[in-house]
Amino acid sequence: MRGCAALSAMLVAGILASAPAMAQDKYPSKKLDWTIAFGPGGGNDIMTRTIISIMEKYKLYPDKIVPENRAGGSGAKGWGYVFSQKGNPYHITSTSGSFITTPLQANTPWTATTFTPIALLASDDGVIMVNGKSKIRTFKEFVDQAKAKPPAIGGIGTVNVEFIVPKLLSERAGFKFDYVAFNKQGELTTALLSGALDAAMSNPGEVLGLLQSGDLRAIAYTGKKTPKALGNLPTLAELGYDLGISMPRGLVMPPDVPKEAQDWWIAAMKKVVETPEWKEYIEKQLLTENVLYGEDFRAFLQKTQGTFADILKKSGAIK
Amino acid sequence: MDIFSNLLLGLSVAITPINLAFLFAGVMLGMIVGIIPGFGPAAGIAILLPITYGMNPTSAVIMLSAIYYGSMYGGTITSILLNTPGESSSVASTFDGYPLAQQGRAGPALVMQAVASFIGGTFGVILITLFTPLFSLVTRSFGPPEFFLLVMMGLLTLIAMIDGNWRYGVISALIGFALGTMGVDLETGQTRFTFGSAEMIGGIDFIPIAIGLFGLGELYYVFYQGMHLEGAGIVQYKKEKRFWPEWRDYVETKFTVVRGSILGFFIGVIPGAGATIASLMSYSLEKSLSKTPEKFGKGAMAGLVGPEAANNAASSGAMVPLLSLGLPGSAATAVLLAAFLMWGLTPGPLLMTEKPEFAWGLIASMYLGNMALLALNIFAIPLFVLMIKLPYRILAPAVILICTIGTYSVNGSMLETWLMFAAGLVGFFMKLYGYSPAALVLALVLGPLAEQSLRQTLTISRGSFGIFLERPASLWIMGVTVVIVVAGILLYRKRQ
Repeated sequence: MRGCAALSAMLVAGILASAPAMAQDKYPSKKLDWTIAFGPGGGNDIMTRTIISIMEKYKLYPDKIVPENRAGGSGAKGWGYVFSQKGNPYHITSTSGSFITTPLQANTPWTATTFTPIALLASDDGVIMVNGKSKIRTFKEFVDQAKAKPPAIGGIGTVNVEFIVPKLLSERAGFKFDYVAFNKQGELTTALLSGALDAAMSNPGEVLGLLQSGDLRAIAYTGKKTPKALGNLPTLAELGYDLGISMPRGLVMPPDVPKEAQDWWIAAMKKVVETPEWKEYIEKQLLTENVLYGEDFRAFLQKTQGTFADILKKSGAIK
Repeated sequence: MDIFSNLLLGLSVAITPINLAFLFAGVMLGMIVGIIPGFGPAAGIAILLPITYGMNPTSAVIMLSAIYYGSMYGGTITSILLNTPGESSSVASTFDGYPLAQQGRAGPALVMQAVASFIGGTFGVILITLFTPLFSLVTRSFGPPEFFLLVMMGLLTLIAMIDGNWRYGVISALIGFALGTMGVDLETGQTRFTFGSAEMIGGIDFIPIAIGLFGLGELYYVFYQGMHLEGAGIVQYKKEKRFWPEWRDYVETKFTVVRGSILGFFIGVIPGAGATIASLMSYSLEKSLSKTPEKFGKGAMAGLVGPEAANNAASSGAMVPLLSLGLPGSAATAVLLAAFLMWGLTPGPLLMTEKPEFAWGLIASMYLGNMALLALNIFAIPLFVLMIKLPYRILAPAVILICTIGTYSVNGSMLETWLMFAAGLVGFFMKLYGYSPAALVLALVLGPLAEQSLRQTLTISRGSFGIFLERPASLWIMGVTVVIVVAGILLYRKRQ
């Protein structure tokens, strides 16, 4: 008797459980898994947690959002995981520079353009800076000096925007330089402070304090619009070198998710970027607001990926 | 008197009940993070980072920093008892710490390490308090040329580390150098020996190798010798003699502590060098200065005390560039820097003047934290010593489990876990045939640093070695190196 009751209870429960599944006309209706392809505390992690807290505050997502740090292999692990969720609209992930560079370096089955693009929200741009004691005060002086004597310019990594930007610049402005790659920000900044390097390209957030104290001097900003904290620093475009290269901070979903889900997220992101919390995040982290949706984002990724591959093949970093 | 008013301000911040509570939470967590092999302070801080979102930055930084220096205390416990370093900076502590435990002196070894850690840590905080601006000058003068020379100085310590058959020692070091070449070549961006795997882009991490070589290698060796069969207790440890160190332990190591603390602090101040290099350098320094170098590796108290004072002083030293320039000198301080940014602070030279309650609150809390850690360690030692009385049938699986979880938890990588097991086998054979796992590990840590900094230097100088003679700081380091080498040779001659 008891077994029979249990069985019928299970049947009833089963029918009840399957009912919403059958009437699944409305997306979203389930828990969302948000992959962060890096560890806690990094730029990618902070952006993701900011977006989630905004979505919770304004009740934009009806169910729970669960952030998961799936770090490893410069993003290969996390994005590889999302790639494996082909067609599943309950997975999403945030992008950063490695989203472009990791597939160029390693044999991943995906590239930046394989995923379903949702939105580019901001770009991570850099400052070109010199030692505070340097005679160079402006970008023009830097270029003139560089033409006379090739400078040593430092940055993080080689397959990275910090190499690509000076490379493109040197080609446009007509100077030669030696690129010195570093592993970590601390080592790069100390090398510039010690006078070993002539210039360096770096993320502004991590050197802001040294810029404000005058130990380092910024001479150009590589993004579209200079963040407030950097004052009236000219952008490269204003100086006549519009490179159009930035590291994408955006959102993508697994390949082949239904159009309906993609549209839902695009609409949701349009609301997120209008909130004061988002504006505060952009300002605090010294990012450049740079918004593109859906296929426009894919086109941006395509273009950036192409430029990167070209330059890196020429320099011999990738095959 | 500026320093004292700042320190008083700091104390008034640190001593509020809420900050004290966070400080104690931090030191406890730090101990735990330190004890688990592989799972280091950087990972420990990173995991707690999301909860500090929206917290008062001062309370948060007091807690997270306590995890950092607390882990330096905890990391040694498993080094001494199980030959398994809890932290990369505790590798040097296995060399003499574990033999001491085998001789039945686990209690004194643990007490001495706690005392040495306390002295090193506190000494470091005193130097921060008095001389931060001065030491930030050291940081500022360190470019790739100086860094390369420092790494060379570190590699000189290989000579002291290799004993017994020098050919085997050199082969061990060469294996370490070879492993260090794997991963992305920083200069050209090309991948080396990654076999097309994305996971290998970052190269071989030193943590799974160290845990495998020392921890599992030792365990396999015990099985091989059949020591696990003899009786219920662990026979490799002699019967515990006494808990407290003898008077001569303190007397013999009084200068060791001072040397370790000074060396450790200086190395810690330099970004990229850190506690691991400091502890290894201190070990070889003590060995080369010792009147009885043959006792090193066989349970010399100075061989444990020096590295312990050094790694704790280095973790204090790493706070100098972080607070005075906003530069992270190690993996753990890089996570702390990310935290500063997350809390909306601007790390840099102005931080200490613009947010004195934050910087000085942290510094003051470090005095209290070190005291708390000393007390915590001494009280917990009897508990840890109980561990070595466990029968091998319980201890051995536990060690394997801890090593596995510890390695996996670092990056969540199965590849690294398998690497750790493979390194265990290699460690066993190295021990069996008299090779030097210590030389392998040192070469694996320093090799890539030497390669990178030399290539950076030569790119900057466009191929000229003259750059080493042009910079005052690099001349200084070369001078010190020459003094060390000459002194070493003279000492050696005198002994002959």
